[in-house]
Amino acid sequence: MPSTAGLQFRNVSRAFGAVRALRGVSFDVVEGEAHGLMGENGAGKSTLLKILAGIVQPDEGDIHWRGERLQLGSPREALERGIGMVYQEMLCFENLTVAGNIFAGREITRGGRLRHAEMRERTRALLDELHLPISPDAPAESLSTAYRQLLQVARALAFDCRILVLDEPTTSLTDAETDHLFAVLERLKARGTTLVYVSHRLPEVFRLCDRITVLRDGAHVETCSRRDVTPDHIVRSMVGRDLPPREARAAARDPRPALAVDGLGRRPCFTNISLTVNEGEIVALFGLVGSGRSELLETIFGLYRPEAGRIRVGGQEIAPVSPRAAVAAGITLVPEERQRQGLFFNLSVRHNLVLPDRTVRGGLLVRTASERRDAQALVEKWRIKTAGVEVPPDSLSGGNQQKIVVAKWLATAPKVILLDEPTKGVDVGAKFEIHEIIRREAARGAGCLVASSDLPEVLALADRIIVMREGAIQGQIGGADATEEAVMHLATHEGVA
Amino acid sequence: MKKLWHIRELSTVVILLLEILFFTWWLWPDGSRPHPFFNAGNFLLILKYSSIYGIAAVGAAIVIISGGIDLAPGAVMALAGVVAAQLFVVGGWPLGPAMAAGVLVGAASGLLTSVLVVLVRLPPFIATLGVMGITRGLAFIITEGQYFDVSSRLLGGWRPFGLPADWVAPIILIVLAVIFQILMTAFQWGRSVFAVGGNETAALFSGIAVPRVKTSVYVISGVLAAVSGVVLVLVQGQGKADLATGYELDIIASSVVGGASLAGGRGSVVGAVLGTLIFGVLRNALPQIPGATFYDRLIVGLVVIVIVVVDQLLLKKRG
Repeated sequence: MPSTAGLQFRNVSRAFGAVRALRGVSFDVVEGEAHGLMGENGAGKSTLLKILAGIVQPDEGDIHWRGERLQLGSPREALERGIGMVYQEMLCFENLTVAGNIFAGREITRGGRLRHAEMRERTRALLDELHLPISPDAPAESLSTAYRQLLQVARALAFDCRILVLDEPTTSLTDAETDHLFAVLERLKARGTTLVYVSHRLPEVFRLCDRITVLRDGAHVETCSRRDVTPDHIVRSMVGRDLPPREARAAARDPRPALAVDGLGRRPCFTNISLTVNEGEIVALFGLVGSGRSELLETIFGLYRPEAGRIRVGGQEIAPVSPRAAVAAGITLVPEERQRQGLFFNLSVRHNLVLPDRTVRGGLLVRTASERRDAQALVEKWRIKTAGVEVPPDSLSGGNQQKIVVAKWLATAPKVILLDEPTKGVDVGAKFEIHEIIRREAARGAGCLVASSDLPEVLALADRIIVMREGAIQGQIGGADATEEAVMHLATHEGVA
Repeated sequence: MKKLWHIRELSTVVILLLEILFFTWWLWPDGSRPHPFFNAGNFLLILKYSSIYGIAAVGAAIVIISGGIDLAPGAVMALAGVVAAQLFVVGGWPLGPAMAAGVLVGAASGLLTSVLVVLVRLPPFIATLGVMGITRGLAFIITEGQYFDVSSRLLGGWRPFGLPADWVAPIILIVLAVIFQILMTAFQWGRSVFAVGGNETAALFSGIAVPRVKTSVYVISGVLAAVSGVVLVLVQGQGKADLATGYELDIIASSVVGGASLAGGRGSVVGAVLGTLIFGVLRNALPQIPGATFYDRLIVGLVVIVIVVVDQLLLKKRG
């Protein structure tokens, strides 16, 4: 490897309190290549990206670009040095236009006045270059998720970026949208832009990247050429062990319904939904974004009032007028946006873990000793990596925060568990653990309804697959008979199975 | 085990002690004259007037912890005060029922706020701004600009349970502060308030009755403001509509200086009470400094900013 070219990380270390997020990481990114950065949650990818974006500074070590040391004291300096970032959680000014977003913070001005016409022209040229059929004057809030993501790419490119860093850019994109993004990235690569691509999705990394670097527990494991390795090799290298194969599960002899929904409707999200989930059964609710899955789960959970239909839990009709009532009836929902909908950053891990359970039990006092015991037990049961139960959750890595959110809802021993995209943005190892947890809950007798748009996950996990499209159930497939083609066919075409 | 360093209220106590130390030194008298600041009588005076703010600040802190804001305490104090004073002086009611009626007025205004916040879904800033106008306006309508002279009907002064009147406000404050500190830290209700303030969506998803929690904090804030208003009228001996004008900002500032975050989810009742003492000492000592008269608002403003900035720096260092 030539030692003066490209982007070089030299012995980069960074600690947050007692957590050593990066320990002496060294590797090279060759100029003009697409470089995949992989690792489980907590492996140190986010920290490395933050250093590259100038948000945090390394304790030790440094970064070189074309042989010159990069001093990145702020995000602005990183931008000025030609490093553009596309973040996982999209930073989009919904109140501004497309052009306003691209030039936000770096507006073209003359004598202090904004040069709207010029910014609009440059935006149009940029959008044409990326083959994006959107108007510079369109309000950003009117754009789909995919276009917002591409808008970030455009924003990075507007300022002559030589290194484009993408952090999980496809998390909320459909396959077609991902294809579009990749087409844009391929063109950028052909133009000589260096890409650093972070993703949990192996097929994407193998499709785009020339070389792959794997991090584990803050340390560099290996950097290899895509041509020399298999996806399985990368998974082993990320996890540090072999994943056990999936066990086949026998269907229950005498199914008793845990959850029965009959003719449920709430326009315009969904109409006339009838389904049952038996005790101990895992049912996947598959559908593309916008098919009404999340809305259905949230309605069952009492966040919205249905217009029609009945919901029964264990044969008893219930009226979930609020999440509180739903939880009391034995239903829990593990929400999709876990940080926004799941965690209290002002309270300790202990409070976060026991809150739903204690709220349902409805005692008057906070019993610290018993809560600490329960929280400690949950931390051990779920293998949550934390410095203790009295620290705030923001001291934990993303994956461990997610485990807290799942664990806190399951601590109430619910009869019906609704999970909305339980493994969204989660690495292979954590995904496997979460699947194990869902299976364990089912084995306990809970009925699990899992909304997911991750087809391999649906096929691996579900005893039965219900496909939704445009707010209606398109059909059901038994887990054993399901193939990707059959499920996708139902999800995208008219027809009944 | 919590380290001492991690107890937020401790830094407020340190600031208070430093402040007292500073004014004791600055106002040290010549020769053998008595100290104008550092003497028992003056401390009782500080305590008495700080307690009026303090009782309302307990409620304000709870609202702020829940992620809301209450701009109405000053106006609610005035309305509760004049209602109690009018019933007592003009209506000829006995003192007890008249005071209770004043407190009920506070509960009603708190209920109105919570209807606006929970059902009408107004932002708390706007809802309480409106309630502030309504309650202050009602106080003027009731009094028609007149004073109700409470002291002339309270012959020989007010001595509930044989206590000297100066001690009433501090004792009420201490009792209420202890009760609400315990409610906020050891009871599920208090944790719900912290949870709602920290992340309202997550609270809803966790099965917490968010509307009920919000209603409770605004009603408590209204009741406590009314209690302090009634006590203020009895201590001052007169009920009038422009009572406690502008108190709401000092009350909010006290909560913030005591560690409450306007973003919600952080703060404490004890901290808010200590915050009112910090302001009480300033209000008492600054006028005693020759030539400082025109500077005292400026100094109070600077103190708020400095304390909150230092607190944020310390928070970063701890975290």
